[in-house]
Amino acid sequence: MNHPSFFGHHSKILNIDLSKNLIQSKSLDPAIVEDYLGGRGLATRIFYDEINPECDPLAEDNVLVIATSLLIGTRAPTACRGHMVFKSPLTGLIGSSNCGGTWANVFKSSGYDVLVIKGKAAEPVTIDICPDEVKIISAKHLWGLDVHDTTKKLSTKSEAGKRPSILCIGPAGENLVLISSVMNDKNRAYGRAGSGAVFGSKNLKSIRVSGKKKIQIKDSERFQSGRDQALYLMKAAPITKRLLRELGTSGLLKLINIIDMLPHKNFQDNLHKEKDLEKISGETLRKKILERAGGCFGCPIACQRHTRTGDKNGEGPEYETIVMTGLDCGIYNLEAITNANYCCNELGVDTISFGGTLACAMELFEKGFLSTKETEGAELRFGNAKILREMVKLTAYRKGIGDKLAEGSFRLASFFKHPEFSMTVKKLEIPAYDPRTSFTQALGYMTSPTGACHLRGGYAVSLAFFGGTREIPRFSLLQSPIAIRNMQNLGIIQDSLGICRFTGFAFPTEPWSRMASGVTGMDFSTSRLEEIANRVATLERIFNLEAGMNPEDDTLPDRFSTEPVLVEGKEKLLQKKVIKRMRNDYYEVRGWDVFGIPSQTLLKTLKIKGRKK
Amino acid sequence: MKTKKWKASKELIRLFQTVGRASLIYDIQDSHSGNMALLWTEKKGDKKIVITSTGSQKGDLEPNQICFLSASETDFGYYKASSETDIHARILTSKDVYASMHCHTKDLVIATLDDEKKPNKPAPFVPIDPLGYYFLGGLVPVDWFKVPSGSPEMIRTIPERLSNHPVTVVQAHGAFSRGRTLKEAFFLLCIANNSGYIVRLANKLGINVKGLRNKIQSDPDSFFTYPPAKYLIEEEKPCDFPEEEEITREFFKAGARIFESRLSPFHTGSLSIRGVKTMLYAPMASMPREIGGPLREIPLSLDKSDSPELQIHKKIYAKSNFQTVIHCYVPEAEALSYFTNPGETEPVDRIVPVDAEGSFLYLVIPVVPQKFDFDELVRLLHDYKVVTVRGGGIWGVGTQSISEVLHHPSSLREICLYRIGALEQGLDLKKMEPKKAKRW
Repeated sequence: MNHPSFFGHHSKILNIDLSKNLIQSKSLDPAIVEDYLGGRGLATRIFYDEINPECDPLAEDNVLVIATSLLIGTRAPTACRGHMVFKSPLTGLIGSSNCGGTWANVFKSSGYDVLVIKGKAAEPVTIDICPDEVKIISAKHLWGLDVHDTTKKLSTKSEAGKRPSILCIGPAGENLVLISSVMNDKNRAYGRAGSGAVFGSKNLKSIRVSGKKKIQIKDSERFQSGRDQALYLMKAAPITKRLLRELGTSGLLKLINIIDMLPHKNFQDNLHKEKDLEKISGETLRKKILERAGGCFGCPIACQRHTRTGDKNGEGPEYETIVMTGLDCGIYNLEAITNANYCCNELGVDTISFGGTLACAMELFEKGFLSTKETEGAELRFGNAKILREMVKLTAYRKGIGDKLAEGSFRLASFFKHPEFSMTVKKLEIPAYDPRTSFTQALGYMTSPTGACHLRGGYAVSLAFFGGTREIPRFSLLQSPIAIRNMQNLGIIQDSLGICRFTGFAFPTEPWSRMASGVTGMDFSTSRLEEIANRVATLERIFNLEAGMNPEDDTLPDRFSTEPVLVEGKEKLLQKKVIKRMRNDYYEVRGWDVFGIPSQTLLKTLKIKGRKK
Repeated sequence: MKTKKWKASKELIRLFQTVGRASLIYDIQDSHSGNMALLWTEKKGDKKIVITSTGSQKGDLEPNQICFLSASETDFGYYKASSETDIHARILTSKDVYASMHCHTKDLVIATLDDEKKPNKPAPFVPIDPLGYYFLGGLVPVDWFKVPSGSPEMIRTIPERLSNHPVTVVQAHGAFSRGRTLKEAFFLLCIANNSGYIVRLANKLGINVKGLRNKIQSDPDSFFTYPPAKYLIEEEKPCDFPEEEEITREFFKAGARIFESRLSPFHTGSLSIRGVKTMLYAPMASMPREIGGPLREIPLSLDKSDSPELQIHKKIYAKSNFQTVIHCYVPEAEALSYFTNPGETEPVDRIVPVDAEGSFLYLVIPVVPQKFDFDELVRLLHDYKVVTVRGGGIWGVGTQSISEVLHHPSSLREICLYRIGALEQGLDLKKMEPKKAKRW
């Protein structure tokens, strides 16, 4: 059925089958937008309809969907983010990754709302998307190049004088590194869960987009009133107004230390000396290496760090990178961390998973389960900053011990027969907030559909400490399940509208509701948005169960139940019974049964239809 | 020879001190006036009247300013006791009355002033808000006294009035109340003063108070959403969920703010946070810091014995993802909900902020009628977070925290005060209202 273009959309899905070299444009049904919004929700629904959940993630059966949202192409603040959904080769579950920069915006201006990629090209290819033509062209000459060089080679101006936007992988993706990323605008990553390897497995090196098509807004006045309110609140909140612009996310470092949440040495403790933290803090970064701040398309926050160390310049490091490649590896050397970050960006490696995997390797090494024999002489000791950059390279090219690091920490630790040193949930590395220091954060990691992710799992740390009026207790068993469900839902709404998480520091959903309704003329009241979020969360769950997830995997590594950390001088850990109660309570608030399976009644209530095919 | 000293338990002294301080915080007292009394049975069985001393500072009572008098004969205690002691003593002889209180309830006093030639019989005060109407029994008697302090005519008249009404007003002076406990007596004076304040605001806003009173008196149950739950003194028991230390602290912080910022009178309103199967509930949410109130853990499922207010909390949770719910009787919002814009015939259906912060935090605050449609209330709460019910207080919701939900009545009160202030200055509110609020 053909659907005429509707407000906020071009109403077009671009389907590409790389195996068949087939390019098709299909119409986007407005009903699916009403039910799944855009971005994450829309991509998840289309992905679910298209994929065999039991497929090998690195085989041609895997499907990769990138969706924009109804706010992209408008002047809604921060509305530039694309969302990519795929089956993760790292976790075997849904991969769901979100990225800023310019790509999603330019892709939408090429006249499409969604891109679906299936199959596997016979040889390396680039997809070139313009409003008038879509081509699959050889990328043999690009294969082997790093992200920056690839981007540079593809960034020639179009005839209209517009610079295209490039999405590509580096050598890590080509080498099917399970912790590799797809990169946008050189330094922005669709990180976590191995999206780069999925590109690589399809012989897809890059996607170049250009265009200038605009979308229509149904009710400009309504849209504008929401936008005005959003901008006002962002200008009023210190985090969005000032802190992120001045210090970037690295400005969080000292703050998170105040609540004892910073991991150390593969989450063995949370103890850091202030003078050590000072060396790598956001304040120090600003003084020593910052060249300028930058922002994604249409973003008034401008949290990007354009930095320089020695003769190299690039972007980062972000808070997560500093903590995971730094503190979690016992490293407090800003230059080494920054260089490793540059290298990760160039080669297309996820910094969080890399840091978590290296920390795991360091613990294995220090405890004698991994030796210089396997590392070819490298001393994988905590605090050894000299090896950082080299380890990124070995990982990306799967050389030496890098071949094991490339598999992520769970497979690494399992290979060396000590999986207990892998700080992962569902094989995804836990990011930079110690779960023992907040019940809500712990539950977020446990129940995130993608494995331990602070974004898909719910950014609970803000609730614990800098959530303003929404701040909640950190150790409330009663409050955590609903608090994290609501935080995850807020994340789904943000991901599905193509907007930045950081706007949540200033306000939750009301202004977005008005903007979304204004753009489309559809009813996107906050209750509708909540309903959509519940629907998306449940569909993600269904996929994971179909893909073989065991609800017992909704847990945390034993370390967090047996080795306490100090919080305000008191020992804190997550007893097994606490983990079990929180998990069961979470299932209940989601409307899932005691085994974490969504009931038929819920599916009916949420109007979740079965797979189309 | 042993000298007999007044001795009371620390709890009794603390009760006087905390209620006294609360009366000053709520601004129904002046520094040295007013008095509180209760009946107390000594260990050996003697009945005593415990009463504040004359001229004592009710906000900072010292132990020796709480006097213990014989309930049956004159003793030395009367040297120091309040000048209204005889009035209290007679009030305390009534059946089921164990406490009484007198305060300079300024708003109520102002609302009951008249300029008639004296002596006269002033009109009784009829509240136009649900708390006042139901808790005060529909009206509050008002009497003019030639000697309006401690006089024999007051000793005769006031206990008589209080035998039929919980609160009575001495014109141009203050109000007396009686209760089963001192907290209940204080509660009634807070309610009465709040009602006076609402009537004052309504008069200021040009609302037809007389018309409202006629409607209320002819059919009160259709005029208000529901009668509030009775003030149950047995509710005053400790917290049901001490293991949730952080949440308990949040409840008490919020309760104190509701009381101190006058977002709802003493021990009114309700506040809850939901868990998976149960909710934590403060049924008397306006809680002075030192007095507190009960905190209950109750099932989320509806129960026949639930009060209408509790039912609404539960129903909101059943129909939404909200984690916190608040209900308050914000007096300014109650008054504004009856306001009719110039040139219009029906009262407003929304309160539009005219201040900077209010207008950016809230597009509008919807006003719904007394007997609102519940689904509509939930829809409005999703979109606007706080809703005023004409004749039924305000409802607010939060997605995460108690702090978040508390912000709504607090912001709403300010929004209302700015609107009322603008009207007082003769400003044209329509011109001040943001354009965006016209379409909401």
